[in-house]
Amino acid sequence: MSKLGQVIESVEKHHQFVLDQVKRARTDKEFGRDLLGRWNDIKAKIPVSRAPTGLELPRLALPEIDEPGEIARYLFGEGLPGEFPFLNGAYREMYLEPIREIESFEKNGGSKSGKIDKKVPQTEEPTRLFSGLMLAEDTNERFHFLTAHQRTHRLSTAFDGPTLYGIDSDADGVFGKIGEGGVAVDTVEDMVRLFDGFDLGSPNFSASMTISGPAPTIMAMYIAAAKRRFGPKVVSKLRGTIQADIFKEVQAQNETIFPIEASLRFLCDMIEWTTHEMPRWYPVSISGYHIGEAGSTPVQQAAYTLSNGFAYAEMLSQRGIPVDQFGPRLSFFLDCGLDVEYIALSRVSRRIWAIGMRDAFGAGPRAQMFKLHTQTSGRSLVAAEFKNNLTRTAAELMLAYMNATNSCHSNSADEPFTTPSEEWIRLAAHGQAILLEESGIFKHTMNMLSGSPGMKAVERAVEAAILEEFREIERMGGVLAAVENRYQRSQIQNAAHRYEQQIYDNTRPIIALNKYRNGEDDVPEVKLTRTPRSKQQLQVNRLAKFKKKNAEKAKPALAKLAQVVERGDNCFPALLEAAEVCSLGQITGRLQEVVGRFRPMV
Amino acid sequence: MPAPIRILTAVPICDGHDSAINTINLEFIRHGIEVVYLGYHRSVGDIVRAAIQEDVRAIGISSYNGGHIEFFSDVVKELKKEGADDIKVFGGGGGTITHADAKAMERKGVEKIFFAGTSLIEMADYVHKNYGKPRGKRSRAKTRDIELARRLTEIEDQHARSKRSTSRSAGRVIGFTGPGGAGKTTLIDELVLRFLLQEPKARVAILSHDPSVVGEGALLGDRATMINSQHDRVFMRSMATRGQGGGLSPATEGCLRELTQSNFDYVIIETVGTGQEAMPFAKKGIVDLTVLVMNPDYGARLQLQKIVMLDLADIVVVNKSDLQRARAAHSEIEQRLEQNRRAQQLIDTVAKRHRDPGVDKLFGLISGNGAMPQKRRKK
Repeated sequence: MSKLGQVIESVEKHHQFVLDQVKRARTDKEFGRDLLGRWNDIKAKIPVSRAPTGLELPRLALPEIDEPGEIARYLFGEGLPGEFPFLNGAYREMYLEPIREIESFEKNGGSKSGKIDKKVPQTEEPTRLFSGLMLAEDTNERFHFLTAHQRTHRLSTAFDGPTLYGIDSDADGVFGKIGEGGVAVDTVEDMVRLFDGFDLGSPNFSASMTISGPAPTIMAMYIAAAKRRFGPKVVSKLRGTIQADIFKEVQAQNETIFPIEASLRFLCDMIEWTTHEMPRWYPVSISGYHIGEAGSTPVQQAAYTLSNGFAYAEMLSQRGIPVDQFGPRLSFFLDCGLDVEYIALSRVSRRIWAIGMRDAFGAGPRAQMFKLHTQTSGRSLVAAEFKNNLTRTAAELMLAYMNATNSCHSNSADEPFTTPSEEWIRLAAHGQAILLEESGIFKHTMNMLSGSPGMKAVERAVEAAILEEFREIERMGGVLAAVENRYQRSQIQNAAHRYEQQIYDNTRPIIALNKYRNGEDDVPEVKLTRTPRSKQQLQVNRLAKFKKKNAEKAKPALAKLAQVVERGDNCFPALLEAAEVCSLGQITGRLQEVVGRFRPMV
Repeated sequence: MPAPIRILTAVPICDGHDSAINTINLEFIRHGIEVVYLGYHRSVGDIVRAAIQEDVRAIGISSYNGGHIEFFSDVVKELKKEGADDIKVFGGGGGTITHADAKAMERKGVEKIFFAGTSLIEMADYVHKNYGKPRGKRSRAKTRDIELARRLTEIEDQHARSKRSTSRSAGRVIGFTGPGGAGKTTLIDELVLRFLLQEPKARVAILSHDPSVVGEGALLGDRATMINSQHDRVFMRSMATRGQGGGLSPATEGCLRELTQSNFDYVIIETVGTGQEAMPFAKKGIVDLTVLVMNPDYGARLQLQKIVMLDLADIVVVNKSDLQRARAAHSEIEQRLEQNRRAQQLIDTVAKRHRDPGVDKLFGLISGNGAMPQKRRKK
């Protein structure tokens, strides 16, 4: 049986295990008593939290149950936040306000010792806003604007089209695309400019880079830039994420530049290297976001993302890297839209991941955690009466945090027609602050909205549908075989087509688009962010200068890289050397000569 | 009945947003339109070259990654430069193209920009209304490719006979056939890459077939996966079968004759995915060399007895020979070929693999550098 088959089996087994425990709790008196004791102990240790109005609440809300069978169902089937199988959250306290004094919520209850958890949470702001525009110095300025008032600096970088496809700004026919939709990065020098003024080695800094096809090269450039500024010792301190998700590129986003097998090999080379040398780095962000944005159903999104994740875990295990070494360095990225599945999609994903990693891969607790970044749905936003997008994003944020996402990006309302402008970015960021900091919904009590009967109904339905998708992939011979047979792509395209059809025949209401439309020409007059031609020319000129300066050194570096790739060794060290003196396009071109180009699937 | 409208659709370079165009393509087909789909991340040069070779009425571009004003107007400019400005340009980009942008693009010669919220039917109607009328008298063709492309259109639309003499140029005609999903398109593209690399002056023509949907148009999508064949030394034409069974179009023979007289070193013809009884190149003299491309997963051994092309093909290729089933398939097919007592060749390939030795071997046979005896030309 393949690993995915084992995952399916372990989830089924786990449910049976939970049922057995429920039964045992009801029939085995001693076991039942133990559980009840444990339950009361947990409750006794819950600290109090105070709302600004003076109202006292427990920092952790638990279901009102006192029957051992139900307690067993909760503890084994859902788990407390931060405990296996992590349905309610990867961590104990998530976004709760830090507390100064700790006192028990149950005034006279609980254990005599009165010992309660003294761990005061070290929180990071979960807000992480995606940005990238024009040239490196422009994005750098935006980064400083965004982080001006934040304790922790968590940057998230969007790259322009040429960079995403691994080609240079001077490539044929890309003028006009330079710096559009993201920042233009051709060389290590651009990377230095991009993060200027930020302390890359600081524990309060992390960088996220949204790029997959040429991810290993971009990663190498980031490391090279960090070394230039802070010396070689900074490498082990670097924190952040690079997307590097090849499977979803082939399934949905179409930014693959090498054949699948070669792409996966370069990816694993990079992960193997960073796992050893950069213990704080997340070298792959397993992403459903683009699958969702390409038009999949929420269930397809979760099923493909999870199965992709298990496939990476299998590949890394086969390289001989211990699961407890790479497992904690895997992270996930999901879309959150307005469909009802999103009530519980991430909760269910977290549980399936934990069970699969523990039981099919033998992973320890840290490698069981599904660490999740969520982004609200860009596809759900429309240009017609675009201010409605604020409401859409607010509802999606609510869903994302109900699912205890670890971090979140909220889209700007002007996104359907332009790279977000500062005005709307500010509103998007404030949307999160209002929800997390101003409102009391998520800051006083964990589990505030977890586990309603409706949510549970969605969990059951969504999980069953995800497992059914797993079985389909398994029948096809696993993730790679299914990808090569275009299975996920076709499913996503069908779903996208159905979605469009529903909008056109009015069975899926989109307010102000196909319902309550005001009939006027409502494309807004907004200030557009476009990259001036002069800036694009500047980038081309800089690149020419870099290439000229490094011409002598680039040749041997590329030759060595090609050699290592031919030999089949880990090519990341050679990529690191090449990144010092070669441009992105030079490296991509040389690699393609050796391994070929990606052949698109239609 | 008038001939179906042919248009070309594509997504610009550095843009992988193909969700909208996939949906629109399907809608166009449903409305009887033949769509040559070039795929995503396509340069201006690739789009214009393809549009000229395919002699389409219009190019539809779906752009979501910015830079659209430059890109669309570059396409218009390039068409004009090449002498093909009777090919019109339209497109859209959801909310990314503003009304002001659209006006600027229209000033530069783009015919129409669709905005978010336009219904699919509206787009199909637009194509019918604007590109459905018979073409008026066309100005003199500026290049040989344009002239050839127009001749092919005339043959295809009227089933006109080629007016040229029956004499052929020296090029070699190779026919590829086989069941759908065997990897014919990928294999041909890999061979083209070798032609281009090893014969620096050779010109290759490809006549590629895709099925027409009953009562509807056709999606001609081979170009999207043929990354190496988008090249100035490759002339490619995509044809819909327009109701004919057996893997080719009613106009294939005429078009092929036209191509064989046009100074190509190689003319490659690819059928649609065929059934067991198909023998698309049965007509004498239509090709010099027949290649049957098989998938190792053909089912029971008995199935091989029913595949007519196994008797007729000069070369049989077992593609996807990295699949588990491939070794067994090879020996079963080998036995089957032995019954024929002809000098047929059997080759294993993994066309999806870069620099696959099996494809190298096939290239050797086809380009005449291998062991395959050159067939005598039939007059």
